[in-house]
Amino acid sequence: MQDQYITRRHATTTFIQGRNTVRHTRRSLGSISQIVIVSMLTLVFGLIYVAEGTKATSFDYEISSVESEITEMNAKKDDLAVEKARLTSVAAAKTSTVAAVMEDAAVAGYATE
Amino acid sequence: MPRSNIQRSNVRYSAPNSGDAANSHHRIKILKKVVLVTLAIIAVRLFAIQIIEHDHWVAKADEQHTLLEAIVAKRGEIYMMDGDEPAAVVLNQTTYQIIIDPSVTEKDKIQHALATYAATYQTADLDEVYSEEGLRYAIIAKNVPKSIADQIAAEEISAVWFAKNNQRVYPEGDLASGLLGFVNADGIGQYGVEGSLNNLLSGKDGLLKSTADVNKVALSIGNDNVKIPAEDGKNIVLSVDRGLQKGVEERAINAINNTAASNASVLIMNSNTGEVLTMANLPDYDPANYGNVTDASAYVNYVTDDPYEPASICKNFAFSAAINEGVMTPDTTFFNQHYEEVDDWKIWNAEQRSSLYGTLTMRQALYWSLNTGSIYALKLLGGDPTRINQQGREKLYDYYYNKFRLGQATGIELIEAEGYIEDPNEGWGRDSTYANMTFGQNLKITMLQTATAFSAVINGGYWRTPTVVKGELVDDKIVPLGSTSTGIEDKILSDETSAMMREMLINNRDYKVRDGTDRPGYDVGGKSGTAQVVRNGAYDDTFAELVGSYIGFVAPAGEMPEYVIMVRMWGEGQSIGSGDAMGLFDDISNYLINYLKIKPGA
Repeated sequence: MQDQYITRRHATTTFIQGRNTVRHTRRSLGSISQIVIVSMLTLVFGLIYVAEGTKATSFDYEISSVESEITEMNAKKDDLAVEKARLTSVAAAKTSTVAAVMEDAAVAGYATE
Repeated sequence: MPRSNIQRSNVRYSAPNSGDAANSHHRIKILKKVVLVTLAIIAVRLFAIQIIEHDHWVAKADEQHTLLEAIVAKRGEIYMMDGDEPAAVVLNQTTYQIIIDPSVTEKDKIQHALATYAATYQTADLDEVYSEEGLRYAIIAKNVPKSIADQIAAEEISAVWFAKNNQRVYPEGDLASGLLGFVNADGIGQYGVEGSLNNLLSGKDGLLKSTADVNKVALSIGNDNVKIPAEDGKNIVLSVDRGLQKGVEERAINAINNTAASNASVLIMNSNTGEVLTMANLPDYDPANYGNVTDASAYVNYVTDDPYEPASICKNFAFSAAINEGVMTPDTTFFNQHYEEVDDWKIWNAEQRSSLYGTLTMRQALYWSLNTGSIYALKLLGGDPTRINQQGREKLYDYYYNKFRLGQATGIELIEAEGYIEDPNEGWGRDSTYANMTFGQNLKITMLQTATAFSAVINGGYWRTPTVVKGELVDDKIVPLGSTSTGIEDKILSDETSAMMREMLINNRDYKVRDGTDRPGYDVGGKSGTAQVVRNGAYDDTFAELVGSYIGFVAPAGEMPEYVIMVRMWGEGQSIGSGDAMGLFDDISNYLINYLKIKPGA
């Protein structure tokens, strides 16, 4: 705040020769200015809050999207595990092309000493 | 400054009329009052909403912007052993139902999509669905995997939509269905492992409570957000060997097809650890389509759930008791006159050949499965070879019930029935009842109880709790699951008793060695049992219906046995002798030797 020096030479009735008299006054904002500034500050803070809130929400959407993706991938993993289990099942192995060309097992022979 | 020449206008300002002013004031006063009253009403209403009805409106608001849902735990998978590696036999899969609205006429597109992608999953005939007037909802395919559902969804048929559901998948089809059980529509395990270990398999659902936006996306803002993660069910590894189970089931089906039997159950367990290697029940069913079963008895695990009379197999227990008490050896003799008269009942031997009349050893009695021999063992337990007495009954009861734990649940991880062993002193006809019990009648025990007790007879006398669970699969490693079974180990017979019983059981099959059924280099012992059935409160002496059983062990010659095999075959109104069951035992014992690559002994 800038101080202003006002000559009181003509303002006083008790003028003393060779001496300046000054009155120190502080220039302050008017009430309207204060309202405007407070409103602006409120607006700015509000905007910051909304921006942060939106940012958090966008993260939430991202999290939701990632979770959906995880669910999707888990479902695919389960599908593949099931497919693997079916392909390696005893029934599948028995009817496989490899099994078709195998010979029947004979009684195993063991060397005796 | 020159004087300006300003022309004054002649406007006359008249004073307002005093009557109009009064009216205006009056109107303003009324307006003020209206405004005040309105404001008062609003204030009162606001007070009511914000103070008096605060909780109600908060709850309403919460309903709209709070997301509350259960995080469903993943049901545990079930594995069997494939050699040393676990192999999945029960898994989970997210599948879809395809639903259509027949009022939207896109039949050709739907038909084409179904035929192209999901023909095997189709459950309804489209012509029939479209012929029904006014129908707006029809399920036309079930259990459709996600990849196929995605392909159909890509066709963008407006009459088609999808319903997601979690499905239990059994990649081995009907393998071991009686052991595994199934999961019902409510997600609850029924019968078998699915039923008995439902708590371990189902895990614990979690909870998500969160502020949500209009799209029902959970938001991190809010003070009351709660996320409790789900605890997935445990992946359980069974001790059952998948390949052995399959091979045994195939042989049991062959046996059913080649005899008059309609049912067969087979149990293979490790006699030294109590681990179950095979538990087969035929006929079986597909657990994934359990609803198609027309006879609920298909769900029953006859090995654990159905106490029955295993007949002469119980002679092993009566003989073991007498030997262990030091009152009998395999060479002890008795006089066989083909029958015994007890409580005015004549109890006959099934084997009546004349060459067996006279003095025989107990080894011969077991070989020919003579009831008179096992009754003699009971007499010896009582200390009086001429009659059955209270001491003999009480000692036999002590061995049957307390030592062999017959008529009691074994403590395996499955649902099991107990059966019963008659009290030695209370009731009518105790002597004849106990005489019958020596050859496996007048009692009810399960196959599992029988095989567990038989394991103790041949393994050196140790009764061990049977188990069907090897552990839990964590990061592809099998770790102990904790106390799912009682884990009892009780020495109930002496080593000598066990050795004598093994020798007699091997002797029982000497003709099997001679005819080449049992291979050289292996000790195969066994005992048959043919049970009469009870009709109208008495045993049916016409033998129109019989239940055949056989129990035995396989070991390299000269070594302690490791595997016990028990077979039971039956059919309503069918006379299934122990010979049928023994045939299946012979087949399985040889298969077991090959499958497990058991090397012959010296």
